[in-house]
Amino acid sequence: MASNIKPPRIRVARKIKKDQVFKVKVRFEHPSFTGLGQVDIETNPAFNRAIPVTFIRNMLVYYDDELVTRFNMTSAIADNPLLTFKLKAVKEAPVKVVFINNAGERWEVSKDIKFSA
Amino acid sequence: MKRIFSIKRLVILVSLLSVTSSYAAPRVELFEIEGLISPASPKALTAELESRLKVKVVDLNLKRSASGWPVLSIEFDSGQITRKTIEQTIATIEDPAGHKYRVHTGPPMNNAPYTEEENKAIAMLGPVAPDIAVLTNPVDASNDSLGRGKKMFEQYCTTCHGLDGSGHGPAAHGITTFPRQLWVWNNSDSSADGYLFWYITNGRNEMPPWGLILSENDRWDVINYIKTLTKQE
Repeated sequence: MASNIKPPRIRVARKIKKDQVFKVKVRFEHPSFTGLGQVDIETNPAFNRAIPVTFIRNMLVYYDDELVTRFNMTSAIADNPLLTFKLKAVKEAPVKVVFINNAGERWEVSKDIKFSA
Repeated sequence: MKRIFSIKRLVILVSLLSVTSSYAAPRVELFEIEGLISPASPKALTAELESRLKVKVVDLNLKRSASGWPVLSIEFDSGQITRKTIEQTIATIEDPAGHKYRVHTGPPMNNAPYTEEENKAIAMLGPVAPDIAVLTNPVDASNDSLGRGKKMFEQYCTTCHGLDGSGHGPAAHGITTFPRQLWVWNNSDSSADGYLFWYITNGRNEMPPWGLILSENDRWDVINYIKTLTKQE
């Protein structure tokens, strides 16, 4: 499973003006699976536990090292999600996105925000 | 004096005793299995095990195990095979789709506790406190209500909360906040009604808001049934 996970990547607009609302796009290649199986479809269609569950549990967004939002996720999120959210460019500072999965493993990616003329 | 045991009979008796003493009684052991993902999986696993190791698969408990993992009961001759051999053999078997099996070890749930960073984030931005109204269940806990409640509980709630309300349902492993143990509400009085009604209606964290699917009376029926759940010893 570890071989399926690649470090996250971030993308923001090249030209951002002060106080502009801009999009941040983050792509993280991480599997998302409930771990449930269905072995007895005919007599008892309820799911059973098949393999350990794996999913991104939390995505934390920091702007200039200050936590601005937390996305609390479950295994309902797709594999390898592309996540987009908006921020207001109040200052020139790095935007950092931290991912933590249900096993407690952590990844982060960041990008500096610089204002254009 | 007539000889009771001839030498020939004595030799046969001694050899019989030595054979029976080296044959250990069959024993049954339980194995929590990972990898039962498709309808073909159990059959493939049991057939391979029985043919490779000459053991007998007695039972496969898919949903009523204490930990939430499927449990395979295997009868084997402990004088010839060990538990470790069975575990190693299970790890080498594949089902028709190529999925591997494994004996589950470790805690029932694989979710790590929240990290310090997550706890800090939750403390700063964490869930809004619920605004729970004081309500009394308008539906009597009659046999009809309990029957309806039991049916809905088994259909909607057992996946996470388990059949006995222990919190160890099969889907509970995918939930970071442990599903509540519902038997704690056994025979609770009407002061619990509003609390349970709010949570069933609105959900919390990973629990869905069942108010979107169940009518009010349905939710009250489920609450009546929850109050009959008892802790399994």
